[in-house]
Amino acid sequence: MEQMLVNGVVLAVNYALIALGITLIFSIMNILNFAHGQMFMIGGFVVYYLYGIYHLNYFLSLVAVVAVLGVIGYLFETCFFRRMRKVATREENSMLLAVGTALLLENLALSIFGEKQRGVPPVVTGVYRFGSAFLPANRLLVMLLALVLIIGLLLFVQYTRMGRAMRALAQDREVTHLMGVNVNRVAAFGFAIGAALAGLAGGLLITVFGVNSGVGNFYSIKAFIMIMIGGAGVVPGAILGAIVLGFAEAIGYELLPGSVTYLLIFIGLIIFLLLRPQGLLGKPWG
Amino acid sequence: MGIETKQEASSEVKGSGGISSGHDRLPAGSKLRFFALAATLLVVVPVVLGRSPYYITVLTNAAVLAFISLGVWVTFSIGRMNLAQGAFAMVGGYITAILSTRYGLSFWLCMPLSGLVSAALGAFVGWPVLRLKGVYFAMITLSLTEAIRLLTLNGGDVTKGATGIVNIPRPGAIGIFGLTIVPEFSGADPLPFYFLACGLLLLGIVAVWRLSTSRLGWVFRSLRQNEDLATSIGINVGKYRVIAFAICCFMGGIGGAFFAAYHQNIYPASYTIADSVNFMLYCFLGGLDFILGPVVGAFLLVIAFEILHAVQDYQALIYGILMIACMLWLPNGILSLAVRRSSRESPARK
Amino acid sequence: MTMAILEIQSLTKRFGGLTAVNDVSFSVEKGAIVSVIGPNGAGKSTLFKLISSFVSPTSGRVDFNGHTITGMPAHEVARRGVVRTFQETTIFKEMTAMQNVIVAHQLRCRASSVGIFFSSATARADEERFQASAAEILDYLGLGPVGQMIARNLPHGNLRALGIAVALAAEPRVLLLDEPFAGMNIEETDAAVKMVRGIRDRGVTVILVEHDMSAVMRISDKVVVLNFGTKIAEGTPSEIQQNESVIEAYLGRADEEIGH
Repeated sequence: MEQMLVNGVVLAVNYALIALGITLIFSIMNILNFAHGQMFMIGGFVVYYLYGIYHLNYFLSLVAVVAVLGVIGYLFETCFFRRMRKVATREENSMLLAVGTALLLENLALSIFGEKQRGVPPVVTGVYRFGSAFLPANRLLVMLLALVLIIGLLLFVQYTRMGRAMRALAQDREVTHLMGVNVNRVAAFGFAIGAALAGLAGGLLITVFGVNSGVGNFYSIKAFIMIMIGGAGVVPGAILGAIVLGFAEAIGYELLPGSVTYLLIFIGLIIFLLLRPQGLLGKPWG
Repeated sequence: MGIETKQEASSEVKGSGGISSGHDRLPAGSKLRFFALAATLLVVVPVVLGRSPYYITVLTNAAVLAFISLGVWVTFSIGRMNLAQGAFAMVGGYITAILSTRYGLSFWLCMPLSGLVSAALGAFVGWPVLRLKGVYFAMITLSLTEAIRLLTLNGGDVTKGATGIVNIPRPGAIGIFGLTIVPEFSGADPLPFYFLACGLLLLGIVAVWRLSTSRLGWVFRSLRQNEDLATSIGINVGKYRVIAFAICCFMGGIGGAFFAAYHQNIYPASYTIADSVNFMLYCFLGGLDFILGPVVGAFLLVIAFEILHAVQDYQALIYGILMIACMLWLPNGILSLAVRRSSRESPARK
Repeated sequence: MTMAILEIQSLTKRFGGLTAVNDVSFSVEKGAIVSVIGPNGAGKSTLFKLISSFVSPTSGRVDFNGHTITGMPAHEVARRGVVRTFQETTIFKEMTAMQNVIVAHQLRCRASSVGIFFSSATARADEERFQASAAEILDYLGLGPVGQMIARNLPHGNLRALGIAVALAAEPRVLLLDEPFAGMNIEETDAAVKMVRGIRDRGVTVILVEHDMSAVMRISDKVVVLNFGTKIAEGTPSEIQQNESVIEAYLGRADEEIGH
């Protein structure tokens, strides 16, 4: 029982990082980042090479993750999605463009990194005990780092100029533009941050679960489930979705055999959407 | 085929009546073009390429993939991006696999049954899920593909989990009164499968075209363009959405059944998210406004990648690049290029 | 005395803390033109959505020809003959004006689905009927010349008329017109008044929501006034124009005129 709780909390916090990233991008640019899972995966690989192979300091490798994914996110926005906004004849085009970027990253990674599962040694060793529950020190560290990043993000969005510009953009694009905000720059920045968050989540979780070039879709789907449950485009929705998914997984994996957990999660999701299509906190399907 | 200007569409409207020709570019002149396509597929290709099983195989694949993508096109005609077709192809494939290996049912019975089961499942799942639109629908259908994979993985003895089902028998002969109408499909000769594939595709094109110009097609059109308005004139939007989705899943199921008998095996890994995405890509590449869009897209990509054999390892990577390029520079698909520039209205929001 | 074709009884709609429509009741006689007026935010649009079942009430009900239609799905209510138009120009953008109207005839199709698929004789007869009827409706609304134009290219003024044409093609018994005179000049208003009268003369009961007081007073048999979701007055146009509470409700709003 306590193990499930502990696992749930740990997963929820880490997943919140993922959910917040995709939510940020969605709220600012109204684009669903299908490549979110692939960005997560690339973050994992950056850490694998820098920390795992070249034995760079773990925290420095996380900084590298931000740099790499930030650039990727920035490029995606400026080269692809910005152009799409000018050319778009239908909403579905941007969506398929996003799907294309996911394919691109996934197969680029496959070509460069190969198929093998990779792992890294834990950053810290040791195990803590909470009642009858065990929590490896590494997992605790990863959770705390995720928590720090989440708080940092929330503070950033709330108090910095760029953060406020992003929130304005999320609320009303036209008005924000008219107020003199450089919409393109904010969008690019937002995408970069969203991508970096995904990558950081990957860089953190590789120390726990490892990574391979095929996990992208797996984590994208987790992100989707979270925002479908919590409500897309709203920060509290992302966090709520992460909590629900984290605990659902923790409970499921503890009580049920392997992949049945996710099967039930999907069934539950469809039933949930039957009753509340916009998620718990979302506006009616956007 | 189906290549003509918007003005032609309008004058077509004047001539034959307001509703019998649709916005989906297939007016009277295309009957000729359809027969040309049919003749090419059914006569020219077998005569010219009949000795090369490799090319026949490629075209067989292309034809069935095009057929499955036509289903996705139907969901698009009600305004939804359907990324679940891989799931329903999987369902169709497994139904055929199970019925033929466990119960010895003839393929010719399995195939329609697969379609029906897929359609039923589609209707069941679609009812709640079709209330979502846009990215939300895309997300949930993408998840559906994954969910069905998990279902087959955990299907116990029925689906045989990760090992899948193998030794699926090839289609048997059909005969009446001792006369063989359809010969037994052998492993050596690729032509029977080819003809079956082309037959399915041609039937599919005719069916979708007829659907598109029928009253049902216009109901679908009204759903795509304005669901609220459709409701206000008495159209049961929920019911018709499900019908469209069920038709799509039916076609997916039939396609899956074909491939199960063609490859003689099926695994949980047989249809992935990438496959669901591909079906959508074929539609987009060819042009979503055209019924032949998915057909053109499928044939083009399948053939192109076979030709580019050298880069086959990077096939998926090129797919990704192609998708991006297509979205940026050819958002209305290849067939839209054939629309004469003079009749092009200024870029409009659909 | 003519029978009430529509009875609105104690309709209430609450959205969270906000009461958009508060215990509104009135009846609409067959063949009448009834206008619902009120300052902005009075709940008129919500009332329309409640009557046509696009929104379900928190309490109260609507009876159409003696049957309760509240709780029925919106498309079913439309099939029975209560058809609404929309405030924003809502049309099928990618179809021609003619096709827009023909689609609305789908309700009246007699051929079965299979028959349509294989183009049976009944299906073709239906098609011809629809075409003739659609042409007539378009002509009646002055859209005859633009029948073959793709709807999204139509001039703005025609879009509203097209919305009404589509609603008419659905063969309504009661037509709910959402601000039919909005943004019109004097000539256009005159033409629209004539059109609404003509619709009534065709046997359709009309309920309209409107801001333009002069048009409302000219055309209505009965006027219902809402303010903050509550009905504050109901009566003939002349009764309403002299009603104290109505004048008071409008006094604070500088941009409204109260009739001529």
